[in-house]
Amino acid sequence: MNYIELASEFAPELILTIGALAIMMIGLFLANSQKKVLGYLATIFLAVASLVIVYRGIYDIQMEGILADSLTIDPMSQFFKLTFLVVSLIVVIASIKEYDGHSNQDEYYTLILLGTIGMMVVASAIDIVTMFIGFELASLSTYALAGFNKKDPNSLEAAVKYFIIGALSSALLLFGLSYIYGMSGGLTNISELAVFFNNNPAVLQSPMGIIALMLIVAGFGFKMALVPFHMWAPDTYQGAPTVISALLAAGSKKMAFVAAFRILLIAMIAIKIDIAMVFMILAIITMTLGNVVALSQRSLKRMLAYSSVAQAGYISMVFVVMSPEALTGGILYVMSHAFMKTGAFIAVAALGYMLLKENSNAKDVDHLDNFAGLGKRSPFLAFSIMIFLFALAGIPFTAGFVSKFILFLSVLEGGFYLLVIFAILNSALSLYYYARVVKYMYVLPPSSDEKLKVPGTYAVAILLAIIGVLAIGIVPEPFINWAASAANVLGL
Amino acid sequence: MVDYVLSLILFIPLIGAALTLLFTKSRESARMVAFVSSAISFVLTIMIYLQFEPGIAFLGFQFEEKIGWISSMGINYQLGVDGVSMPLILLNAILCPLTIVYAWGESKLPNQFFALILVLQAGVFGVFMSLDFFLFYIFWELTLIPLYFLISIWGGPNKDYAAIKFFIYTHVASLVMVLGIFALYFSTGVNTFEIPVLLEAFSDIVSAEMRVGIFLALFFGFLVKMPTVPFHTWLPDAHVEAPTAGSVLLAGVLLKMGGYGLFRVLLPMMDSLGPYRSSIITLMAVLAVVSILYATFLALAQKDLKKMVAYSSVAHMGYVMLGAAAFNYMSVSGAMFQQFSHGLITAVLFMSVGVIQHSVHTRIIPDLGGLADRMPKLAFLMMCGFMASLGLPAMSGFIAEFMVLTGSYLTLPVYALLAMVGIVATAGYHLWAMQRAMFGSYNEKLGEPHDLANFEMIPMAILVLLIILFGVYPGSVMEMFEHASKIIPGVMI
Repeated sequence: MNYIELASEFAPELILTIGALAIMMIGLFLANSQKKVLGYLATIFLAVASLVIVYRGIYDIQMEGILADSLTIDPMSQFFKLTFLVVSLIVVIASIKEYDGHSNQDEYYTLILLGTIGMMVVASAIDIVTMFIGFELASLSTYALAGFNKKDPNSLEAAVKYFIIGALSSALLLFGLSYIYGMSGGLTNISELAVFFNNNPAVLQSPMGIIALMLIVAGFGFKMALVPFHMWAPDTYQGAPTVISALLAAGSKKMAFVAAFRILLIAMIAIKIDIAMVFMILAIITMTLGNVVALSQRSLKRMLAYSSVAQAGYISMVFVVMSPEALTGGILYVMSHAFMKTGAFIAVAALGYMLLKENSNAKDVDHLDNFAGLGKRSPFLAFSIMIFLFALAGIPFTAGFVSKFILFLSVLEGGFYLLVIFAILNSALSLYYYARVVKYMYVLPPSSDEKLKVPGTYAVAILLAIIGVLAIGIVPEPFINWAASAANVLGL
Repeated sequence: MVDYVLSLILFIPLIGAALTLLFTKSRESARMVAFVSSAISFVLTIMIYLQFEPGIAFLGFQFEEKIGWISSMGINYQLGVDGVSMPLILLNAILCPLTIVYAWGESKLPNQFFALILVLQAGVFGVFMSLDFFLFYIFWELTLIPLYFLISIWGGPNKDYAAIKFFIYTHVASLVMVLGIFALYFSTGVNTFEIPVLLEAFSDIVSAEMRVGIFLALFFGFLVKMPTVPFHTWLPDAHVEAPTAGSVLLAGVLLKMGGYGLFRVLLPMMDSLGPYRSSIITLMAVLAVVSILYATFLALAQKDLKKMVAYSSVAHMGYVMLGAAAFNYMSVSGAMFQQFSHGLITAVLFMSVGVIQHSVHTRIIPDLGGLADRMPKLAFLMMCGFMASLGLPAMSGFIAEFMVLTGSYLTLPVYALLAMVGIVATAGYHLWAMQRAMFGSYNEKLGEPHDLANFEMIPMAILVLLIILFGVYPGSVMEMFEHASKIIPGVMI
């Protein structure tokens, strides 16, 4: 394979890299008031990269082992790459207004693009070292982004918490991976590792192997915010700039899922011991705790953070069932959740932006009280928040319903009745806090009668997310097939 | 057009809802758009009703439509009607335009109000027409959202509690139902969500425990919706707080979804329950009789007229359950007819209560008195409604309850006799409430009430006429139900 071919395979990543560098350079020559153009530039780069992926093919594509067997291009990587790109695209579009006139916009967009590249590398990686590097690239960019509002103590607290926990989880992950590396006699390629552990099951069942697996589970657990590794998530999502919370919840957290799908599923099939039980307990605790705590939240960002914890609990049922159907459901859920969560956070960000514009001293703009009467003040925003929340709750004709349906169905098919009952009860419980926000927006009287005008770029970002949520909800067939072909890659 | 007539009936209210919500600025245009769209649905429904052939067997569907949707899971967009659903579709098509006319004076956010009523209508149409469990479930859930908003925006003082309780109760029930659907889908292994196919495959499930588990999960979903004691507590709360239009549709058509599920899904399964069949029948009969007696006596004790009517709904739905449990052709068709007739009757009752509330601002029975003096038109129509509700001959309720009780006496004599005790008390609370609220000397503290406005009188009068019409000549509706119930597998003829 010559360099031209290689470049064409990695065109999306290369486009983003060029974009990131270009934005950084161009930013040097622009006045703060002109830097808005960088946002449009980033939008274009992300859009082009997404189009390249779609053009390259998303269904029937199989490219094993490029660059010394470290990366692959297969339906799974394409699926997740496109998800990450779309999330970043929506976030960038929404940021144009949010950071209009800010002096560090060049760094901001550069970091988002770099973080996206990191996530894309993780999606493609079939080598544990490459995967870890992708992880770190994405994490380092998002640490900085979480603290981007550097004058806001909450944002700083969010960034520091996120950084410390993130560093810890990276360390755990790396430590676990190093054991795997040592035990297998120096293998880093995932499929080679799978073969090795299949032939030598005793290795993973030894105390050393169990410790390695536990470290990896903990490392991923932090990234995925599974209970009991979730404590950072609410603080970080609440304190970080809202648009960045969208990126964290929908992008970088999902990166952990794709990595875990690739590594853990193969490892677990190889060892065939009852690790399903561990994940079952984790999944049940995660979804229940996430939902129960979300019930009492008055800050919408915090509520969304806990709901995100709960949703991670649903997705982690995949590790219990480990069937192709469950994986299809889990993968589809990741994409649906990306749209729903990004949309919800962006809509909250839009409201915060408008409230701050009204009164620049406003505190806690994501407090539930600020949503009272939003249906009258901004019908568009209220309606879109309603769609996102109903989608998160799993109401029909939305992405949330379809993906929950398929995931829960597969859990039942796997014979895990208790688990599916917990999931369904949780789903019912979650409706309560989502519906409460809707009630605030439509039933309670507004605090002021002044209409709020949603800025154009926010509206575009929200519309993109709505299109995603409704498209998956109403025409699910192509998305299911796509997720199924992505799930096939792992050959469960 | 005939090929897609069911879709038209289903989607015209939805389109109407979108138009009402987005494009109408004034109350006048909102209610007009809403009325026209539900009227178009009504006309189309009458057309298919007249073309419908009752003789064609149960689960032999007419006006079928089928479009592949999620083919990898065997999910189709599939609609069709048979003898069980046709009259209920008619009921829905009648009630919604009448409710819109009744709510003609609604002045709070009229465009949203009428749009929600239309969404509700579409959801109920969808439930009655769906032949695919996935679609069925979607429409089943879709009906929750508009009613939730109707209660929580236009409701009474305690609306928050009532709305959320309604939502949680029925949502949990439908989640249990969906578990049953999942289990049915997997254990039959037919890889389709088509209702008729799954019902046929139900008897092939090897494990009897599995069959009974699926049955019970689905049963629970329908039970809460009907509702049956002890899962009825959401209903009085929802009714008391809901605006009149919401109550009319809730009692008139939404509860019927529960009964419909019973006839469409559960009764055809009954014959395959094997050793558990008799205990399931006992369970149903006990629940039915407890519902009838308990709710009747609760109704007797109510001071709030609307709450009384709500409990009478619970009791009347108990007859539906009893008829289904008795599982013979007469009782089952009686139970189906009870659904249809109760939908008409309860609408009159709720509308009457709504008028009283609107006109004298209270509906607490002891505070009322002698309203007939000042509101003669209301008194007449309300009296007709109450008489129909207590089962006066020549009204539709009589035929339904007569058939249910006669039929049940054949197979479940003890339960039928117990239910008859309820009839006495039913007459008691209806007459007693009438006496205290409407007759006697006028309570001057109530001010000067106005009698029925035309937009209130016309729908009530139409409903009363229909009640009498179906009471004297049940005709084609009964014919459809009879044919439908004769063909349920294992039913006693």
